[in-house]
Amino acid sequence: MEKDKTNAENPLKVNRRHFFSQLSVGIGSLALGSLLIPDLFKGGGVKELTDMPLGIPHFAPKAKRVIYLFQAGAPSQLETFDHKPTLRKRMGEDLPESVRNGQRLTGMTSGQDKFPLMPPMVKFNQHGNSGAWVSDFFPHIAKIADDICIVRSMHTEAINHDPAITFFQTGSQISGRPSMGSWMSYGLGSENKNLPSFVVLTSRGKGNSQGLYSKLWSSGFLDSKHQGVLLRSGKDPVLYLNDPDGISRSDKRHLLDHVSSLNKLHHVETGDDEIESRIAQYEMAYRMQMSVPDVMDVSKEPESIVKLYGEDCQVPGTYAANALQARRLAENGVRFIQLYHQGWDQHGNLHNEMAGQAKDVDQASAALVLDLKQRGMLEDTLVIWGGEFGRSNYCQGKFDPANYGRDHHPRAFSIWMAGGGIKPGLNYGKTDEFGYNIIENPVHINDFHATLMHTLGLDHEQLTYKYQGRRFRLTDVAGNVIKDLLA
Amino acid sequence: MTLKTKSHWVDYTIFGLSVFLVFCLIFDSFLELPVLVAWLGRWHPVLLHFPIVLLLGAILISLTNKNVPYPLLTLACITALITAISGFFLGTEVSAKGDLLLWHQWLGAGVALLSALWFWLDKIKLGQEMYTKGLQVLLIVLIGFTGHYGGMVTHGEDFLALPSSKKQEKIPENPLIYKHVVNRILENNCVSCHNPNKQKGELLMTNLKEILKGGESGNILIPGNPKESEMIMRLHLSPEDEEHMPPEGKRPLDQTEIRILERWIALGASDTLRLDALEKGEPLVALVKELMEPDPMDKWAALPKVADSTIMNLSSDYLSIKRIASHSDALKINVFLSPEHDPKSITDLHRIANNIVELDLSALPIGSKEMEMISSCVHLEWLEIDRTPITDNDVDKLKDLTKLSLLKIYGTNIGDKSISVFKGLQNLKSLYLWKTGITQGSLDELKKAKPNLLIDNGIKEDVNAFFVDTDTIQKDLKTE
Repeated sequence: MEKDKTNAENPLKVNRRHFFSQLSVGIGSLALGSLLIPDLFKGGGVKELTDMPLGIPHFAPKAKRVIYLFQAGAPSQLETFDHKPTLRKRMGEDLPESVRNGQRLTGMTSGQDKFPLMPPMVKFNQHGNSGAWVSDFFPHIAKIADDICIVRSMHTEAINHDPAITFFQTGSQISGRPSMGSWMSYGLGSENKNLPSFVVLTSRGKGNSQGLYSKLWSSGFLDSKHQGVLLRSGKDPVLYLNDPDGISRSDKRHLLDHVSSLNKLHHVETGDDEIESRIAQYEMAYRMQMSVPDVMDVSKEPESIVKLYGEDCQVPGTYAANALQARRLAENGVRFIQLYHQGWDQHGNLHNEMAGQAKDVDQASAALVLDLKQRGMLEDTLVIWGGEFGRSNYCQGKFDPANYGRDHHPRAFSIWMAGGGIKPGLNYGKTDEFGYNIIENPVHINDFHATLMHTLGLDHEQLTYKYQGRRFRLTDVAGNVIKDLLA
Repeated sequence: MTLKTKSHWVDYTIFGLSVFLVFCLIFDSFLELPVLVAWLGRWHPVLLHFPIVLLLGAILISLTNKNVPYPLLTLACITALITAISGFFLGTEVSAKGDLLLWHQWLGAGVALLSALWFWLDKIKLGQEMYTKGLQVLLIVLIGFTGHYGGMVTHGEDFLALPSSKKQEKIPENPLIYKHVVNRILENNCVSCHNPNKQKGELLMTNLKEILKGGESGNILIPGNPKESEMIMRLHLSPEDEEHMPPEGKRPLDQTEIRILERWIALGASDTLRLDALEKGEPLVALVKELMEPDPMDKWAALPKVADSTIMNLSSDYLSIKRIASHSDALKINVFLSPEHDPKSITDLHRIANNIVELDLSALPIGSKEMEMISSCVHLEWLEIDRTPITDNDVDKLKDLTKLSLLKIYGTNIGDKSISVFKGLQNLKSLYLWKTGITQGSLDELKKAKPNLLIDNGIKEDVNAFFVDTDTIQKDLKTE
């Protein structure tokens, strides 16, 4: 069990400030204790932070792990899940100023004098009992329409990729905060001590890509053991994990024991908590030498599963392979599995590029949901599919239906979720006829984070970490749990 | 001499006040008070403390057979009368007096008039007679009840009720949305001020008719339009706002409560609507169900205590034991296959068998010994024994796990014999049977016997065929 970080400072590190604050708390608590009125000063029923030990959910969870299929670059909501026939009717017309209503634009379209409305060139159909509109780019996801919950009313403040994706991953547009996977690892601890609790897998489509940086899965100010571990495709999933030639496993054990005893000495001297983290990480790496190759070996998967995910799931580094890998990691107790698929930034040549991107992810994403379902894992695994913002309903640059692009759009976009206590077959939220503004049930990124934490049994207002003089949360000072989404 | 004249004035004053009080009480409904006089009523909460203390003090002295000092009794009597009259003025601010207020009014008047009677008896030197003593005892009782009713008017009827564990009545199956859900939220949060005795803002929230009638600022609820309904708007204001409801110092409504009120208004604020009548996708269904569902933490409250040290001792790198939630003794156990797998690590768990609520032994080489341990986990709700070498005989050991609600047993060699065990599990809700030896006929039989059981027997054939046939992934995809 982990100790509360706010109290877990080494006695050697006590300074004048600590001394006085501890002293006053001591006297204060004596006085309080003598009053024997437990809730007198708590006010408003706020629970004591120290009441909530780390590594255990605050209340009984619905979901125990998350697989986040991040579509980096921001797939257009108008070519995926948000069907807007008006765009076709008014194709080429200028977007009314009353709709745009002063929205800040990126440098790529802010100079345009006209914003011609551009309908999607792909057809939409309704699927499943829920009647969800899904474009023909995604025939497989259409098949699982009744298993997923489509949210068409996501919104964000960021208008460029880096701040937007950082916002989604860390709850802040400015980098430096812990990633959501790190928060979950911090809040829930690990289920399997032989694997990291937060794992990252990346793949790249042929579409226009934006960079991915390791800061997106960084643990920020949290202990570095909560950092996301990037698993690579190919022979060496984790770099430097394998022993060099000529070193046996028992040699490694001796080495680790000795290094660890030296490290412990150093820890007693300095009281630096990072040393303890490092010792733990060496030990985990030692066990991972056994567990990782086993988990990563997809050759044991039967042919029926390979066919389900698509043949490409046997090609390391593809999205399909990562999706299958994600299921195997989830089965082995990894808390947070973060996939990124790059190439969704269609400023031009949207139709062709999106067709390619969709082909990369459609079958494997849907297969993952079906596979989890037949294993009963959808009961306690939350799957999320979506990008960092939406795309404009007007065309970027010259109006040309044969080769059009869309700029970034923060005010409305679509994502879907499945399993883990989220209501299946739900179509949540509505945008106006232009697909530009939300007219019903908006879900902000902070709300999304709060809801996700709720399914994991965490109160987003209670999971905090004190750093630089104040307590931080993933949702910082905002966010409401969207109860309508919960099953 | 001076005393004599003064006492005359006192007599007249007390007599006058008494007459005025009686007059007020009789002509209650015909009175229309000038604003300034009505304002005097606002002093009632301050004044009322004087007669209580002074009268009780005087009675105490008198009951110990001493003569009550004349100024004390005079002052007690006058303040009692003034308090009663000011209380009457205050009462006229309420348009319709509720039961509590009427009781308080008549009891208070009784106290004032009886103390006037005592003053007169004392004056004609009958202060130490037995019946005067009786009158004094009666006064104590009346003061007590008057104060109590007054307290209930101000602080709510259950203000002095013993602190209870707030166990609320269970919401019945298929509840009436207004009566069993909305009304309960209002009872808990609004009615303490908006009731016939208090009527803040001239608003009553005790029944739907009164709510629809609204208060001094007009309608508070527009059926079908929560956004324009004042009662909802006020819930959404910032808690510091003067207009926010409930006012400062009271617990604000939580998101679920607000959402329920909103959806109920959006659906027309009906009092005949039942849960069953709602559409499946209606958010209100989930919200109400959440209220109806007992908190899982409650059902685990009776589990035996388990120490952190016990948990530490039984855990290993390949066996993780976690509390399901903070402060809960319900445990969730995951076991992973270690290179040196030792069945003892699992059978040792019998020490905490009563606490195990979730157990995951997927893909482990378990056999009858481990199944024996599982059968002793009587509180088990969630069991994963998929991809294990278990057989029908092992499944038989599950038959006494009455709390089991989820069972993953796919990828095993069990057959039709296990069906009878599944049928007997009362609380079973989800069953994962993919890739077992169970035949379609037995499955159909199980489905018939337990129509509410979710049986997952793998991906539907047509869907699977679609996935196999339409492999859309590009073959020429190159990766970095």
